[in-house]
Amino acid sequence: MDRGHLPRRDVLRAGGLLIGALGTATSLSGCGTPAAARAGNVLRVSQPGDPKTLDPQKQGDMVSMNVLINMFDTLTTRGRDNQLHPRLALSWSATDAHTWRFRIRPGVTFHNGEPCEAQAVAFSIKRLLAPATKSPIVELRYVKDVSVVDRLTVDLHTTVHDPILPAKLSLFGGVVVPPRYLSEVGDAGFAEHPIGTGPFTFVSWQRDHELRMRAHADHWEGRPSIDGLVFTPAPNASSSLAALQSGGVDLVAGLTPDAAQQLDGYSGVTLDGFTGIRTSYLSLNTLEKGPLQDRRVRQALNHAVDVPLLIKAVLDGKATETPALVPRGAFGFDPTVKPFTRSVSTARALLADAGYPHGFSTTLTASNVDSNVAEALSGLLARAGVHARVDLLDPGTYAARLTSDNRGALGPIYLAASTVWTLDGESIVQSNVRHDRRQSRWHSKEADRLIDVEELSQDPAERNKAFSDLQRLMREEAPFVFLYQMDNIFARNDRPRWKPGSAGVLAMESAEVSR
Amino acid sequence: MSDITLEQPPTPTAGRRHDHHATRLLWFVLKRLGTAVFVLLCTATVAFFLVRLSGDPVKLLLPPDATAAQESALRSSLGLDRPLFTQYVDFIGGLPRLDFGNSLVYNQPVSRILADRLPATIELAAAALVVTLVVAIPAGIFAAMRRGRGSDHAVMTGVLLGQSTPPFWVGILLVLVFAVGLHALPASGYGTFAHLVLPAVTLAVYSVAVVARLLRSSLIDVLSSDHIRSARAKGFGPLKVVLTHGLRNASLPVVTVVGLEVGSLLGGAILTERVFSWPGVGQLTIEAISNRDFPLVQATVLFFAATFVVVNLLVDLSYSFLDPRVRTSR
Repeated sequence: MDRGHLPRRDVLRAGGLLIGALGTATSLSGCGTPAAARAGNVLRVSQPGDPKTLDPQKQGDMVSMNVLINMFDTLTTRGRDNQLHPRLALSWSATDAHTWRFRIRPGVTFHNGEPCEAQAVAFSIKRLLAPATKSPIVELRYVKDVSVVDRLTVDLHTTVHDPILPAKLSLFGGVVVPPRYLSEVGDAGFAEHPIGTGPFTFVSWQRDHELRMRAHADHWEGRPSIDGLVFTPAPNASSSLAALQSGGVDLVAGLTPDAAQQLDGYSGVTLDGFTGIRTSYLSLNTLEKGPLQDRRVRQALNHAVDVPLLIKAVLDGKATETPALVPRGAFGFDPTVKPFTRSVSTARALLADAGYPHGFSTTLTASNVDSNVAEALSGLLARAGVHARVDLLDPGTYAARLTSDNRGALGPIYLAASTVWTLDGESIVQSNVRHDRRQSRWHSKEADRLIDVEELSQDPAERNKAFSDLQRLMREEAPFVFLYQMDNIFARNDRPRWKPGSAGVLAMESAEVSR
Repeated sequence: MSDITLEQPPTPTAGRRHDHHATRLLWFVLKRLGTAVFVLLCTATVAFFLVRLSGDPVKLLLPPDATAAQESALRSSLGLDRPLFTQYVDFIGGLPRLDFGNSLVYNQPVSRILADRLPATIELAAAALVVTLVVAIPAGIFAAMRRGRGSDHAVMTGVLLGQSTPPFWVGILLVLVFAVGLHALPASGYGTFAHLVLPAVTLAVYSVAVVARLLRSSLIDVLSSDHIRSARAKGFGPLKVVLTHGLRNASLPVVTVVGLEVGSLLGGAILTERVFSWPGVGQLTIEAISNRDFPLVQATVLFFAATFVVVNLLVDLSYSFLDPRVRTSR
């Protein structure tokens, strides 16, 4: 019986069709030609997400800012030397305790030719603060009004003295938007086709696929070296690394150390790590009855957590120890404050002294994106007899509990991290220490006094001194287990030449690519 | 099928029988549409309340150092401080106009965001469906004709592998071979035919397995029936017997499954879209959920529910065209 016998001719015909189809696919993709070679003078960057919106005043996350900083200029900027430099503002000074005056750079225009002067700056700040804008940008909380002094001078009026207001205007809150264009096209039209004063102009955006920009020839700082800039989102590290390896992108930003490790030894791929300012720590709840109310226990935890070992073993060396919360590079960092010595026996002795010779059991809560570090920390604590069960939460739940009015919502110990992009110690201490701030889990009258000095004083030397005293106090009282500041990790092929500042912002005006 | 039973005795004349058939079909469609609306309303309600149990979007929109006053100001300008019932009535009231409200995160109407992402999802699902049919139908026919032989076992083993391999793993493997290794196709992205190949194949792997297996067993049943024996006895070649006499009869269960697979391809591409950075509804859903973007989550849930409802309806309707016994009364 020859049932089911397929004639040879039919098989061959089907095979021919299949090969034809495959051939079409490969020829369309430019088979064998690495995509990098065809990219020209365009830099293609991938980061873990897509901008939430292209209206710079309606976003508050670093992923969106990384894109927008290329189309918009801010009033001030942080240089690679970590100092604050002029950008749209040429100079600034506090004229009295409640007023900051900014001189605006003359001759700057938006991409549509609209002039960018004091009036545009005032409009931008007012728009940001207006409830109708629904802006998630919160750092201008002390600004109550803006006034135009003359064509190129603007005053920002605050409710209290805000010594770091100029630094707060170096990113999110400092973006200047075009008033005339906004009135012509409305908010929706602006978000669809944004116009700024930045080094690149908007070309196109397909959400979750790619955003294209072109060099702005008339930028006040001169035309960028690259002709075009493309941002693509890669929500998982392995697909962004595959895109890098197959020549689809030139630079991958926002990598975690374990994702970067996958690339080690791959030819044509270089890993760069730059000291960053994202600072991690364990917050200890001293407000509820338990072992953590005893200073000796808190010191013991700091001795037990071997941070250099953690950095080496879990973070592939891509972080730097922080002695007392304030990261290196930030205003107020005191290099004379040294980290705890790492010693399990000291930790055990302190615990015994405090009445816990056999340690104790507790919970360590973390966002599930930090699971590796949380597990490692739990292991390090266990060596001193402190058994911390790791409780991992999804980032949404974690964020809600972090800022909950219930200060015990994240349990006795939680792992937290803060990006101190203003490069001022205030930003990390701000919500964590003073007793009336929501993330404060430790109350100290002396710490409150020092925070009032650094937050309100007009004298930088006085602020610096207050930060020093505060770091010494925190080092002694140990309300946190001080951990590390993360490097900004980038993977790239051999085309791009670019170096980020400490905040790791993807401002690409200085980037170059080899063709 | 049972929904299309005859409710009145057949009339003697052919023309009137035809009219009756049309009326019955219309009733059937209307009844099914009514059910569909009810199902979607229930889905919308469940989605509305469940997503609100998952957390507070304002906490995610604002950085941790925002003050309580800043949080409540934003909550109020987003309308999230209104009574839950008012928000619910607004949401349900907007549905007939396809107005799902504004996204909390993207500052755009949700319908617009969905409409932006739909083409990519439909394109991927359509391509995966083509791959499914082009591979699964010949494979199923081949295996059925070679039943019990080595080649049948080989095909069925391959199919079993396809059915039991997680799609994201297949995706990563394909990327490793074709993008990283051979540089033949892009690793991720969207826009050209080349970008479509790997995601479509990845997404199709499971459907190919399902359809090929079902077609094989369905064909085997049909091939042992009397009319096939008669066709063979007339001297038709084996392929012609299968294609002209076997396939149509074997297609009924296959159509059901292919229909349901269309639903899964449209709604089940979440992992595939993630692996290939494909800008479709699946990725949007993940982002919406992790951002607690209530209006967007509600809309994507409704989209997936509507997809299945519509596909089921179409499958049921297609029966009446494929099977005359369904068309005429039983």
